[in-house]
Amino acid sequence: MSPADTTTSVAAPVSASRAVEPPARHRGALARLVRAELALVLGRRRNLVLLVGLALVPLLLGVVLYLAQDTALAGQGPPFVSRVTGNGLFLVVASLFLCTPFLLPLTIGIASGDAIAGEASAGTLRYLLVVPVGRGRLLAVKALGALVFAAAAVLAIAVVGLVVGAALFGVGDLTLLSGSTVPLGDGVLRVAGVVAYVGLSMTGLVAVGLFFSTLTEVPVGAMAATVVVAVVSSVLDQLPQLAAIHPALLTHHWFDFAEMLRVVPSADVLAQGLAVQAGWVVVFGALAWARFTTADVTS
Amino acid sequence: MTATLRAAAPAVPQAGVVTDDAIRTHALTKRFRTGQVAVDGIDLVVPRGAVYGFLGPNGSGKTTTIRMLLGLVAPTSGRVELLGEPVPQRAAHVLPRVGALVEGPAFQPYLSGRANLARLDAVDASTDPRTARARAEAALERVGLTAAADKRYRQYSLGMKQRLGLAAALLRPRDLLVLDEPTNGLDPQGTREVRHLVRELADGGTTVLVSSHLLAEIEQVCTHVGIMGRGHLLLQGPRTELTARRAARIAVRTLADRADAAATELRRLALDDVTADRPVADGTVTVSAAVRDDAGPAPQDVTAALVRADVPVVGVDVRRPSLEDVFVELTGEGFDVAR
Amino acid sequence: MDTTPTTSRTRVRAAWAVPAVAAVAVGVAFAAPPLLASADSAGLAPVQPDELVARVLEAEPQALSGTVVHTARLGLPDLSLAQVGGADPLNLLGGSTTLRVWTDGEARSRVSLLGTASEYSVVADGTQAWTYSSSDDEVVHYALSAADAARAQRLHDAAPTPPADLPTPAELGRQALEQAQQDATVSVDAATKVAGRDAYQVVVKPTSTTTLVGRIVVAVDAQTWTPLRVQVWSSDDARTPALELGFTDVTFAAPADSVLTFTKPPGAAVREVTVPLPDDATLAAHAEQSSALPEDPADAALPDGVTVTGTGWDTVVEVKDVDVAALLAGDPSAVATLPDVEKSFGGGEGANELFDQFVGGGDGPAVDLDTSALYDQLTTPVEGGRALQSSLLSVLVLDDGRVLAGAVPVDALRAVAGA
Repeated sequence: MSPADTTTSVAAPVSASRAVEPPARHRGALARLVRAELALVLGRRRNLVLLVGLALVPLLLGVVLYLAQDTALAGQGPPFVSRVTGNGLFLVVASLFLCTPFLLPLTIGIASGDAIAGEASAGTLRYLLVVPVGRGRLLAVKALGALVFAAAAVLAIAVVGLVVGAALFGVGDLTLLSGSTVPLGDGVLRVAGVVAYVGLSMTGLVAVGLFFSTLTEVPVGAMAATVVVAVVSSVLDQLPQLAAIHPALLTHHWFDFAEMLRVVPSADVLAQGLAVQAGWVVVFGALAWARFTTADVTS
Repeated sequence: MTATLRAAAPAVPQAGVVTDDAIRTHALTKRFRTGQVAVDGIDLVVPRGAVYGFLGPNGSGKTTTIRMLLGLVAPTSGRVELLGEPVPQRAAHVLPRVGALVEGPAFQPYLSGRANLARLDAVDASTDPRTARARAEAALERVGLTAAADKRYRQYSLGMKQRLGLAAALLRPRDLLVLDEPTNGLDPQGTREVRHLVRELADGGTTVLVSSHLLAEIEQVCTHVGIMGRGHLLLQGPRTELTARRAARIAVRTLADRADAAATELRRLALDDVTADRPVADGTVTVSAAVRDDAGPAPQDVTAALVRADVPVVGVDVRRPSLEDVFVELTGEGFDVAR
Repeated sequence: MDTTPTTSRTRVRAAWAVPAVAAVAVGVAFAAPPLLASADSAGLAPVQPDELVARVLEAEPQALSGTVVHTARLGLPDLSLAQVGGADPLNLLGGSTTLRVWTDGEARSRVSLLGTASEYSVVADGTQAWTYSSSDDEVVHYALSAADAARAQRLHDAAPTPPADLPTPAELGRQALEQAQQDATVSVDAATKVAGRDAYQVVVKPTSTTTLVGRIVVAVDAQTWTPLRVQVWSSDDARTPALELGFTDVTFAAPADSVLTFTKPPGAAVREVTVPLPDDATLAAHAEQSSALPEDPADAALPDGVTVTGTGWDTVVEVKDVDVAALLAGDPSAVATLPDVEKSFGGGEGANELFDQFVGGGDGPAVDLDTSALYDQLTTPVEGGRALQSSLLSVLVLDDGRVLAGAVPVDALRAVAGA
């Protein structure tokens, strides 16, 4: 490192001929980006542990009910749980019922709150953006990743619930909340409807999490804030003084999946629940977009 | 203080005029919401093909400038032109031709080095997925990470992380490389390798902007230099021009008791600014004087004259002024001082 | 090309305008349909009050299916405790309840009381009925004994019985308009829309000034003359109705057969309840009572210990020797002594039937409530006993075992009690 090393001469500026136009966007580039994101989300060990945790709910519930079915405790418990021993299909519904208030929002809050904030805290966000990838496009792909994870979370409960329920209790014609009994095929369709409704009910929370995720470089903060929104929403839903705003609350319609198990499911009720979710998705999606496309990336 | 020095910079480009510069900024300013002015009206000019040393102490605004160049941070005012295209408006168009290492490497800790590169490659809409694997291999090879390619990133040493960052910047041929502190965390061997890599890329025609808070590390590879201090671009220009502002010195090592004789002889040779250091333990002392390349006696003539004057010459050295000397002269303070 | 500060700031502002616009758009999308739906419907032919009432009372019962929302703002202390229990008829006393009703307009009907993830169904088919509670998976089958059934069939052939009372606006509205013929003035208010249908509004205003009932507003479907909504306004709150029972959607078509039939779900517990058919004399009296309204309620056969004071809206019912402690303990026989009081509580006869059946069953969530705590919560101590004052009804429980109730203030009850 001798300071006398002065041999480097000033290089003559290279001609501008190298300044070629960058190659056009390759076809399937978006699909490639989505695949990479999904591989990241679904390949991450923490996320897999979360999915396994959710899958344990129907498993444990099924085993406990199986062991207790001939005791005095049989037939007790929250809605649906008491029906599981009669028809394994209800294990899916009962597990979703138990997970919907907290476990599912927690899992989804973690995944969606991590979406942008996780990249920011790891420092990878700046490298993704200089690759480059458009911020709107990156946000959309991140949202898709979080949505797919939410779907995977609901499906983990549903599939394990179905398998465990069928193995331990068998499946048969489904007795609805209204007391009517529908054939197995119809019953499976209705339970599938329940699963789909629960999954779609989580989209608003994903959007909220995504927005919080664009606000901070601390993923835990975004995750916690997202879960708090779900919890506060359920608390507000209990206050009769706020009845006027109840229909617009994020969590108000979550349990309307029960509509699928009534003698004539009301399309209005289901559509109302999904419309509220769509409203939250639009507002918080737009907020996330506005924030993410204008914010300085200093992480 | 810096007004006259700025005159060394080329004239401010007119908006919309395509220049042959790789990077050009005009009155680029960033004021953060806290009110802190990180970058204050700088006019950066990096000619194509140059290796531009972007120097300055920690906290002098280098990284914020680089973030604005890459479209990560929106300028409060001013313009950025990268490879002739305005940023951030045309960032999507121009950034594929720019490789960057910003404020240290950062990757997904639980993915391997190879998987991390594959992910970045997949994000790039303009690359051909069929050659993705080959490109990643080539980049890993180039930074010497092939053997560790399948290790998880979190198990990498600091040096390996830095290399992976360089590999990511080299995933595809680039017209411009922006390397922020590329030698951070590298051992002397790694630092040498980075210098070598930069030189090699520059020889291939790539323009390189390399920032550092350690002047000496990259000084040798730079053709151009810009020095930041407290948000201002204190000076910039071809390195030789900058160092030529200050004279080289001839340093004569002689025995301590002959120091006065040496000083007298140097003055007799019409050399300026003759000074003598303190004697060192082995009984020698260094007497130095300013020399000019274009006038006055050549070093060998000075040596001969000293010998004739019966001054024992233990050693003679001509010291070119370093950028640090220039910096200290400009700012009156040490280089590696954060504000 | 320029990244001047102005364009940069403009861009940021434009970006944040997007969520602002989105929020407004979403707000409008959710708020607009109800506003539009409640807009006055013009173009209905004017109708005289008398004619309107006559049309409603003459109208054939319609086959329909719909959703009914019952909202009670009785000014009672919060009963949200009861909401924890899922689909529970007790909810009818406070807050808002959603019911689904299906009827073929003749003998068959289904009513479902909806709870979160639960449902309480009553399926009626002629002389028998089933209730099904999803919470405890229990079926109660109400039927006549074989001999009574044969007798009922003969009676039915002779004179078809009216359809079973349903907790629908249609039934309640008809009753209200029937009773409107005495002690009240009837007028027609501006037309409105209920459940998306054009409707006339009949206003029944009691002539009495002591009653707590301010007015009753019945919205009547302009096509079928079926009441779609009944609002009972208290005399002391002019902003919101104390009781409201209305369709939020309704379809006038025969429901599917599968809805109106009930098959016992496999595995469900079934309790058989044989309902005694009153002897022919009582039955005849009853029929007379329902076909021709009694001039004076006191003329109707009254159970022992029950006396009625006053007329019309000021009627006060007095029950002697009520064992309040037994009532609070959920003793069905004690409850059974108070049917008339319950009926005037509001919510329609059918709803009260649900209530009676449920509480009378002596089983289910009702007994899970701490009834004596509820009693203390609902009532306030007064001289010589305790009083319950709601916006439409007052109940006075005296320490000597007398209970007085009526749609009048507590003071009026005390005056009757003291007399």
